[in-house]
Amino acid sequence: MKPGLNLISLIHCCSSALFAEGPAVYAIHDARVVRVSGPPIEHCTVVVRNGLIEAVGENVVPPADAWIIRGSGLTVYPGLIDALSTIGISGPRPPPATPALSPPPPAAGPEDRPSNTSFLRAADQIVAADPSVEAARDGGFTTAVTFPTANIFAGQGVVFDLAGMRIGQMVIDPSAGQYITLRNNGSSFPGSLMGVIAYIRQIYLDADRYKVAKAIYDKHPKGLERPAYDRTLEGVIESPRVLLPAHRAVEIDRMLQLARELKIRPILYGGEEAWRSVDSLKRSGVPVLVTLKWPEKAKDGDPAVDEPLRVLEMREKAPSTPGVLAKNGILFAFYSDGIATSKEVLKAAKKAVDAGLSTSDAVRALTLSPAEIYGVSDRLGSIDNGKIANLVVTDGDLFADKTKVKYVFVDGNKFEPAPESPDAKKDLEKTQ
Amino acid sequence: MKRALALAPLTALWLAAAPPIVIQNGTILTVTKGTLLGSLLIKDGKIAQIGENIKIPSGAMVVDATGQFVMPGIVDCHSHIAAESINEGTVSVSSMVGIQDVLNPEDIAIYRALAGGVTTANILHGSANAIGGKCSVIKMRWGRTANELLFVGSKPGIKFALGENPKRRGGGNAFGATTLRYPATRMGVEDVIREAFTQAKAYRASWKDYEARKSRGELVIPPARDLKLEPLVEVLDGRRLVHAHCYRQDEILMLLRVADEFGFKIRTLQHVLEGYKVAKEIAAHGAGASTFSDWWAYKVEAYDAIPYNAAIMTRKGVLVSINSDSDELMRHLNNEAAKTMKYGGLTETEALSLITINPAKQLMIDSKVGSIEVGKDADITIFDAHPLSNFSKVTKVFIDGELYFDRDRDIADRPALASRKKELITKAAEEQKKSPPVSPRRPGL
Amino acid sequence: MIRFCRLILLVAFAGCLWAGSDDTFFLRGATVHPISGPEIPNGSILVRDGKIIGVGVSLTPPKDVRIVEGKGLQVYPGLIDSATEIGLSEIGAVRETSDVSELGRLNPQLRASIAVNPSSEHIPVTRANGITAVISLPDGEGLSGQASLMHLDGWTTDEMEVSRTAAMHLRMPVIQTIRSRFGEGPPRIPYAEARKTYQKQMQELNEFFESARRYQKARSAAAPEFKPDLKFEAMIPVLEGKVPLLITAVRERAIRDALEFADKQKIKMILARGDEAWKVAGELKTRNVPVILGETLSLPLDEDDPYDKPFTTPAELYKAGVKFAFGTYNVSASRNLPYQAAAAVAFGLPHDEALRAITVNAAQIWGVADKMGSIEEGKWADLMITDGDPLQTQTQVMQVFIKGKTVDMDNKHHRLYEKYLARP
Repeated sequence: MKPGLNLISLIHCCSSALFAEGPAVYAIHDARVVRVSGPPIEHCTVVVRNGLIEAVGENVVPPADAWIIRGSGLTVYPGLIDALSTIGISGPRPPPATPALSPPPPAAGPEDRPSNTSFLRAADQIVAADPSVEAARDGGFTTAVTFPTANIFAGQGVVFDLAGMRIGQMVIDPSAGQYITLRNNGSSFPGSLMGVIAYIRQIYLDADRYKVAKAIYDKHPKGLERPAYDRTLEGVIESPRVLLPAHRAVEIDRMLQLARELKIRPILYGGEEAWRSVDSLKRSGVPVLVTLKWPEKAKDGDPAVDEPLRVLEMREKAPSTPGVLAKNGILFAFYSDGIATSKEVLKAAKKAVDAGLSTSDAVRALTLSPAEIYGVSDRLGSIDNGKIANLVVTDGDLFADKTKVKYVFVDGNKFEPAPESPDAKKDLEKTQ
Repeated sequence: MKRALALAPLTALWLAAAPPIVIQNGTILTVTKGTLLGSLLIKDGKIAQIGENIKIPSGAMVVDATGQFVMPGIVDCHSHIAAESINEGTVSVSSMVGIQDVLNPEDIAIYRALAGGVTTANILHGSANAIGGKCSVIKMRWGRTANELLFVGSKPGIKFALGENPKRRGGGNAFGATTLRYPATRMGVEDVIREAFTQAKAYRASWKDYEARKSRGELVIPPARDLKLEPLVEVLDGRRLVHAHCYRQDEILMLLRVADEFGFKIRTLQHVLEGYKVAKEIAAHGAGASTFSDWWAYKVEAYDAIPYNAAIMTRKGVLVSINSDSDELMRHLNNEAAKTMKYGGLTETEALSLITINPAKQLMIDSKVGSIEVGKDADITIFDAHPLSNFSKVTKVFIDGELYFDRDRDIADRPALASRKKELITKAAEEQKKSPPVSPRRPGL
Repeated sequence: MIRFCRLILLVAFAGCLWAGSDDTFFLRGATVHPISGPEIPNGSILVRDGKIIGVGVSLTPPKDVRIVEGKGLQVYPGLIDSATEIGLSEIGAVRETSDVSELGRLNPQLRASIAVNPSSEHIPVTRANGITAVISLPDGEGLSGQASLMHLDGWTTDEMEVSRTAAMHLRMPVIQTIRSRFGEGPPRIPYAEARKTYQKQMQELNEFFESARRYQKARSAAAPEFKPDLKFEAMIPVLEGKVPLLITAVRERAIRDALEFADKQKIKMILARGDEAWKVAGELKTRNVPVILGETLSLPLDEDDPYDKPFTTPAELYKAGVKFAFGTYNVSASRNLPYQAAAAVAFGLPHDEALRAITVNAAQIWGVADKMGSIEEGKWADLMITDGDPLQTQTQVMQVFIKGKTVDMDNKHHRLYEKYLARP
């Protein structure tokens, strides 16, 4: 066994070679395996071959060709999924705080299609070498769902694995859904929240008519006016689901109503006050992506400014949201919302556990639930035969403070996180 | 009570049948059926009986109103509370937007208006556009959801605006650049409205044409639906009420003429501060007038505003209401109504009508609210003195027979709210000491 | 309709009865409310050359004076609005009509009375509701100038002016992290940055006061290098405690700042607005700092404040023994001054105290209690005759006298009313 382990270290040292040669066969032996799809199994073996999980169980015998990892004292979880992120997209993402040099062309109405880049695909924008990919992976994240985020119809998300030489190999689903923001355009239409909502409504009406017009025209092109090609509507039509922002209860109500009216399949993101909207969420069956960036007091605020009880309550109760959702059978997943490190992401998730969420539900919200929400649970999210071999191996409970990530498997490739050094974090911040 | 309501949705409770309520021994100002010393029975959210002696049903909640004054809940025909945005000011015609999309049931202004006796309000889009957005009539159901605020059965409305506000041409934007927006004159304001309705007529015709050709079995691509023009078609068809912000007599007349030309009606003229100069014409068109009691001189078009406006228009046959257009004024519309007695000599009942039955008529909800009559919604405000006295204050407010404001309870609940707040602040401070907040890496979503 | 006719009758009656501009008359048969003492049923007032020379029950009219019959009517002292922009601003939205706010942060040399427009339409409108004197207040950032006490009658500013320098107005620098509440998501300024701005402003203010003090010393020492400076010159009466510093401060922190500043500079202070004065009532009482409250009918400052906070503030200050008067801080709404006082009555302020806050308290705070604010011998005959309680809206003000002169009760509003009521 000893030579095997040495060899693994060797392979890790020249990990670039690893991709070229294809993944090896591994067996994690005698570990605690949190499958998520079923109860955890003690003294269990997981066999990984060709990037897939080949076998899981107490009585599984490690194959002869496998690199064996002694799992005693270790816990194996499905690879963590960040359900909404900008991981892998480099360059400045948000609109800059300082004004741009030249103004955007002003829009006079929805017909100008302002802030609609629905056709953009994150799958075409992610960069494998982006430092955020490795940083997330080192913390146990094997998959991220990344979206373009710059416009009202910002574009389409991608479910992708956080390791690989070529983007094409990393992508699991290039069409995760459409990311919608409610950002208004200030002095150009739409310049208000209600303008943005009206704008979204008009776009969906336009898309419906676009489909009808195209269908009619495609059947009978003769004698009919040719409908103009519109990429902003194409992008809307080809998105299988729609992410809508909803933080406060009133916003959750508002977005559920809008989705109902537009007959779209929404996923809500934010969810800090979803604990107040249990009934309507249950009725609608709409899943929620819960931010792990819990609301907190602004650090640069005036200490003498009286904060309303409403806001204080929201802050206090936000971490209890996941527990309430779990108890009520509402499907939800966590997302990092730009938190600095995976360690801190898990710490934030621990807050939800402290506020009433069971540990197993917390793991689920980082694994199987996001996979279900994005329709990839047949491939990802649990430790089951035939699923993609995305695993995170730790030396203890995922949410415990002292727990370290020992190995991460992405598509069957094994990674050992770089040892944590205080400088590493600083360097990372510098690159941002 | 106010916070408890806000934080605990009581939908289920609301739907359950409430016990009957008797409001006893008060001076009942019915507004439409005179004044009597007596009692009021509320059943299933409606006013069931009014009389000098009412038998108290078993299980009824009894409210002693001895020495107090019971009046219909106040109706405000012009308000901008309970909404997260008011103006879509980027375009001259913003009829595609609507307040209903952005109602905010947690706006404290709702509770404060309630504490001023208001039970119903017309929430209007702002006045930045010749044709503004869609409006919503709401009841002050504090603690409910946005949808539950809506006044079920009220007619949809739309805001128009004339004069100085819509002709502001725009200025610098966030980038420092200047984007000029047509119109810049009252002439242009008229043109924008005429142009929009010309388009709306063509739009309506294009759908009629489409339906006709389709029914003949022709192969046609449907016209694109236009959320901007659809509300205007509803106006043309009499299915949406126009509430038009206006000041000067010339622009008032202009709008009435444009409406005549296109064959629709102006339901209310809002502010209409020079309405007294063209009261005859307003009455002839059948438009209502919703005005301030005594605001004037804050801009040029308000320089000829007089506090006698409501009285003159009333005397000349216009249906008049007094509105607030302000979170603050909304809290004492009863005092505002009293000013029409001072300036122009309206009677007590006429003054009270300006904030109850008249705005209800203007909003076409007078079959449900605006007076104390059997069968109407039990929207009731109780004052500790005559509401037209400056020394009066609201003690209780009912909406649909449910107690939404109770001054005694408000006062009693204050210590508990304060201590809860203190507890949360302390807890958060300790939390922050324990674990320093996380440092963000990527931008939040 | 009955009331409508009665009003017209009374106005007509009043018009013929009190015609003439003589400032000598004998008013009798009315209920006199001197404010300084209990009401006098069937009372009389003798006015000569604009001054009250007798008040009582059984006065006999001198032979030579005109008699004014006040049977069934009420007589009150004219009301004083302790903060307005009357005469300084005509139409709020039109800059050209506004002389309220000068450029710069240190303008103690500016004097309101010289810019008051005697032809302002607001003057007759305001006095028609019984307001006979107002503070015209320059406003802006920092030291904005000298507030003047003006009578609402006179051909010229000279005739209107009661006190050119009733107070020096200072707007206390504040830590401002929220720029404006307009629009969606107001722009916020980081606290540290806002505090720096505030500290700079405070430093500037302290330095200015110190410089003024040095100027004062140099002046009295007649130092050879002494050069006159209009700004410092204007500060001397403030430093000497002859002119009070009217400090606008809304929030508790700013009010405490203001008190500290006044202590440090050893000046006489009046607090303006003081929305949160109830939090500092004890300190205000101890230091004898009076307050010019703003409109009672206003919104609570914070979401969680009790809904009636602004309504109960006057009563709370009264109970704490703080002296206060009301100001409308307005132009076109100055006529509603009595209703701002009335709103406080509904929430616990004794009725008499509400009246005092718009009459005698104001006169005392502005240092003119020997001239106005109550119906007493030796004071000017600033009077109003009403058909009821002036705190009630329905009450009609029948006639107003300023310095004994019967003022014209007509105004723009009434003229337009009559003109358009008569439109065929």
